Amino acid sequence: MTPLCSRLIASVVVLTCLACGAQDPPKAPPCERECQDAVALRALREMAKLVYNLKLQGQPVGPQDATTPCPLGGQARVFGEAYSNALQGSTEVQLSYVFETCRYLSRDDEPGENYDMTLDGTLSQVGTLAVQPTASTALVMASESMSFAGSVYDPPLAFNELECAVSLGQSGNSLAGFICDREAGLEL
Amino acid sequence: MSVLRLIASFSVLASVLVLGATAAAQPAGPEPPAVKLTPPKLLSEPRVDYPAGARGDARVVLTLVVDRTGAVTAAIASDVNEPFSSAASAAALEFLFEPALRDGVPVAAKIRMELVFREPPPPSVDPQDDEAEQPPEPEPEPEPAGPIEVVVRGERAEPSRSASLSRAEVRQIPGTFGDPFRAIEALPGVTPIVSGLPFFFIRGAPPGNVGYFLDGVRVPLLFHVGIGPSVVHPGLIERVDLYPGGYPARYGRFAGGIVAGETTEPTSRFKGEYNLRLFDAGAMVEVPFADGRGTALVGGRYSYTAFLLSLVSPGTLLEYWDYQARVTYDLTREDRVGVFAFGSYDFLGQVTETSTLTLFGTEFHRVDLRYDRRLHGKGNLRTALTIGLDKSSVQQDRSVVSRLLGGRTELTQRLDEQVSMRAGTDIQFDTYSVELGTNDLSPEATRASALFPSRTDMAFGVRGDVVVTIDDRLEVTPGVRADLYASDGASAVGVDPRVAGRLTVSERVAVLSTFGVAHQPPAFVVPVPGFQPGGLRGGLQRALQQSLGLELDLGDDTLLTTTVFQNAFFNMTDPLGASEPELDGCAPGTFPAESLAGDYVVSRDNPPDCAARFEPGTLGPDRSGGGGQAASSRGGRRAVDLFEVRTLGSAYGLEVFLKRKLTRKFGGFVSYTLSRSTRSYQRRQYVAAFDRTHVLNVAAAYDLGRNWRAGGRVMFYTGLPTPPNPFEPDKTRLPPFFRADARLEKRWQLSDTAWISAIAEWMNATLNKEPVQTECTLAGCEAETIGPVTIPSIGLEGGF
Repeated sequence: MTPLCSRLIASVVVLTCLACGAQDPPKAPPCERECQDAVALRALREMAKLVYNLKLQGQPVGPQDATTPCPLGGQARVFGEAYSNALQGSTEVQLSYVFETCRYLSRDDEPGENYDMTLDGTLSQVGTLAVQPTASTALVMASESMSFAGSVYDPPLAFNELECAVSLGQSGNSLAGFICDREAGLEL
Repeated sequence: MSVLRLIASFSVLASVLVLGATAAAQPAGPEPPAVKLTPPKLLSEPRVDYPAGARGDARVVLTLVVDRTGAVTAAIASDVNEPFSSAASAAALEFLFEPALRDGVPVAAKIRMELVFREPPPPSVDPQDDEAEQPPEPEPEPEPAGPIEVVVRGERAEPSRSASLSRAEVRQIPGTFGDPFRAIEALPGVTPIVSGLPFFFIRGAPPGNVGYFLDGVRVPLLFHVGIGPSVVHPGLIERVDLYPGGYPARYGRFAGGIVAGETTEPTSRFKGEYNLRLFDAGAMVEVPFADGRGTALVGGRYSYTAFLLSLVSPGTLLEYWDYQARVTYDLTREDRVGVFAFGSYDFLGQVTETSTLTLFGTEFHRVDLRYDRRLHGKGNLRTALTIGLDKSSVQQDRSVVSRLLGGRTELTQRLDEQVSMRAGTDIQFDTYSVELGTNDLSPEATRASALFPSRTDMAFGVRGDVVVTIDDRLEVTPGVRADLYASDGASAVGVDPRVAGRLTVSERVAVLSTFGVAHQPPAFVVPVPGFQPGGLRGGLQRALQQSLGLELDLGDDTLLTTTVFQNAFFNMTDPLGASEPELDGCAPGTFPAESLAGDYVVSRDNPPDCAARFEPGTLGPDRSGGGGQAASSRGGRRAVDLFEVRTLGSAYGLEVFLKRKLTRKFGGFVSYTLSRSTRSYQRRQYVAAFDRTHVLNVAAAYDLGRNWRAGGRVMFYTGLPTPPNPFEPDKTRLPPFFRADARLEKRWQLSDTAWISAIAEWMNATLNKEPVQTECTLAGCEAETIGPVTIPSIGLEGGF
C-alpha cells in the first residue's frame, strides 16, 4: 500500500487497530511430527543466520573463515566464500557451517516459533542472500549428518534426532525440504 | 392587519433590452458599431407592502418598461401568484429609475426584476440582509426556462466569505452532480487531495480542520461512503458559502475553513423535486398546512448499489441512504417554531454464507428544535436545542457511538442605522461510548484506545460581533468568541478575536480584509461520525488567518475577486500533510534500515527510513524471515503515531475568482489558486505533503437553445511534492494532473412550475490517471498513478 493511501485511510487503519485482537488467545493446536520437523528446520536455519550475521556481515568479500560462540553454549564455525553484488543488493554465498554442541533458544507468541535446540553437524549453504527488498533469497542447503537435541513448539515437545540427513531449499522466505527423510516446510 | 414591509431583496434577473438597440441581440453577422449602453438605475426604495391576508414567501418576476424619464410605464408579472403578483406590479409602477442611456442619451428600456416576499423573515438573517438593494444590471437575454435561481437576498457578502454558489449554479457545474457541497472543490483556496475525493485542504488547513455546517448545525459526515454524494438532498440546499479564514464569530471550533450550507426557506406552495440516477434515487416534497402558517418538508435518498453490486460482486454489500425532514409553524407573525431533522446511513460489508460481516458502517442523526422570534423588525432571536446520535462500526462489532445534546441562542439585532450586533451562546455535550474489546494489548490498540476513550466531552462558547457601517463606504466587523473545552478530565480555553472590513472604493470596487484567530481540539483525519480524539491530548490547535482582497464588479453578473492570504498554524494535528514526502520502497542504492537481519526496529526519535546499501566489497546481512524480505509498509505502521504528532504550519498564496453566473445564457468561472503550504516538525521545515502550487478550475455553461444546456469544466493542478531520488535529483514534484468534465442537459417545461430534465454528466471524461507518489525499483523511480477515477452518470431530475 502506498503511503498516500495509507494516510487517506488512516481512519481505517485506526479502526482496524481498534478491531484487531481483543479475543482470548486461542489454544495452541496440537503439533504432530510434520509440525515438529518444521520447527526444527526453523531452528537450523535461524542458527545459521545468526552465525552469518554475527561473523560475516560487513566483512570484506572473498574467502571466509570465522568461529563464534553460540548464545547458550557450544560454538559454530563458518567458512567458504562469499561475494556481494552491491548494485542488486544481494550476497552470493558458498559456505559451510559447523555446529559443535551449539545451543540456541527462541521464544515467541507464535507456538511454532519456539524452540530450545542444540545442533551438532555440518551444513552447506550455496546461493543468494537478499539484502534489500528488491532482491530475493535463493539458497540450497544440505547436511549429510546433523544431530538435533532439545525441544520444539510451545508447549515444548522433545525433539531429538541423531545423525540425520537434511536437504533444504529457500526461496524468499519459504523454506522446504527433507529432514531425516521426512518432508517438511515452513514460512520464515 | 399590520403590514410588514419586508422586501428583503430584489434583483434583476434577466434582460435589459434597450429599445432600439436590438441589434446587440442579433446572431452573428457584421459587427454593429459599438454602442455604449447604461442600464436603468433604481432611485427609489424598492419596498412593497406584504399583501394583506397572504402567508409565506413568494417571489415574483416582473417585466418593467422604464421610459426616458425613468418612470415605470408597465409592470407585468411573468407568473400569476396572487396576491403577490398584483402587489408587486402595483408597487413597481411607483418605482423611479434613472433612465437607461444609449451613448449618453436617455432611452426607454425593458428590464426584468425579481421581488421576493418574505414573511416572517428568515431566522438568523444577518443585519446586512436589510441593506439597500443592488441596482439593476442589464441582461442580454431572458433566463432560460427552469427553476428560478435562488437569489442572495440583497445581502452584502461578508469579507471572509470567498465564494458563494447557489443551488441553481451548482447544477450547472460539470463534475459536481448537482451536489452543492461537492462544488466546493472548484473554489479558490481549495486544494484537492485526490481528484474526485471530496475532502480538501483549504488555505493549507487539513480536511479535519474544515467544518461543515447546515443551518448552523454541524454535519459530522458530508458524503456517503466517503466519496459518494452528499448526505443532504441537493434540493434542500439554497446555497453554499465558503469561509476559508477569518470567518465571522458565529463560526468556531475549527482552525481551518468553514463550509456553510443554507437550506431553502419554507415556502407557501406545494413543491417538490426528484431525481433518478444509476446508483440512487431521491426526492423531496414540501407542503403548506394550516392555511400557510405551517410547512412540512420530507426528503431523502436511497441507494440501490446493494442490488447492483450483488450482480457483479456477490460478496460485497454497499448501501446508503439519507433523510431530511422539516416542519415549521408560525405561532404569530413574530414567532415561529420548527424542527429540522436529518441523518445518514452507510454500510460496507462482506457477505458470507452464514452472515454479513461489517467492514465499515456509519450513521448519524440530528434533530434541531428551533424557536425563532422577530424582534420588532430590527432583529431575530433563535433558540435551539439539538440532539444527535453518531455511530461508526468496524470489523468484529467494534464501534464508536456518540450521543449529542446541545443548545444555542443566536441573536441578530440592529442597534441603529449604522450598527448591527450579532451574538450567541452554545453548549454541547458529546458522550462517546467506544467498544474496543478489552483483551487487545497490542501497542497499536492501546494507543488507539488512549486516543478514543469512552467519555463525555463538553464545549461551551460565547461569541459576538458588531457590524459597523461608516459613511456607507466602510464596514468593519470586529468580534470575538471564547470556547471552553472539556474532555476526559482535561480542559482548555480558546479565545478567538476576529475582525473583517469592507471598504467600498467605488460603485464597483471594494477592498476586503479579514483577520482571525481560531482554535480547535485535536482532529481526526477526515470527518467520521464519532471519531473525535479525546482528552485534548497535546492541547488545542491554533490558527492565525488573514487575507486582503479586491472585489471588482465587472457588471453583467460578472465578479472578479483577487485575494492574498497568509495562515499560520500552531500545534496542529495533520496526519495527512505532516508527513514528509517519501518514496514507495527504497531508492536504488539504499535499503530499509528498519529491518536489520530480519529483526524489526522502529525509532521515532531517529526515524531510519532507508539507509545506504552495504559498502561495495563487503557482505550484506542475511535478512531471511522476520519481515526482512519486503519490509516497506511503513505508512500503515505510523498511521496511529501521526495522530500524536503536532506540527507548525504556514500557508500563503493568491486566489483569483472570476465568475459570471452560471445560470446565464453563457456563464462560468475561473478559479485559480497560487499557494505554498509548509510544515515544521522537530526543527525541520518541509513542503506539506499535499501542497499544490497551482490549482486551476475553469468551468462554463451555455444555453444551446430549445432547453438544451451544455457545460464543461477543466481542472488542473500541480503534482504533489516528491522526495529527491538519485536519478532525478532536481525533480521535486510529481507530474501535474488535469481532468475534463462534461455535462449535457435537456429540459422539458411541463407547466408553469413543473419541469423534468434528462442529464448526462461525466467526471473525468478524459480518463486521466493521477500521479500520487514516486515508486522506486532497481530500474529507477517513476510516478505511480491511480485511476482513472471517473464517474459517468445518466439520470433524470424533475420538480414542481
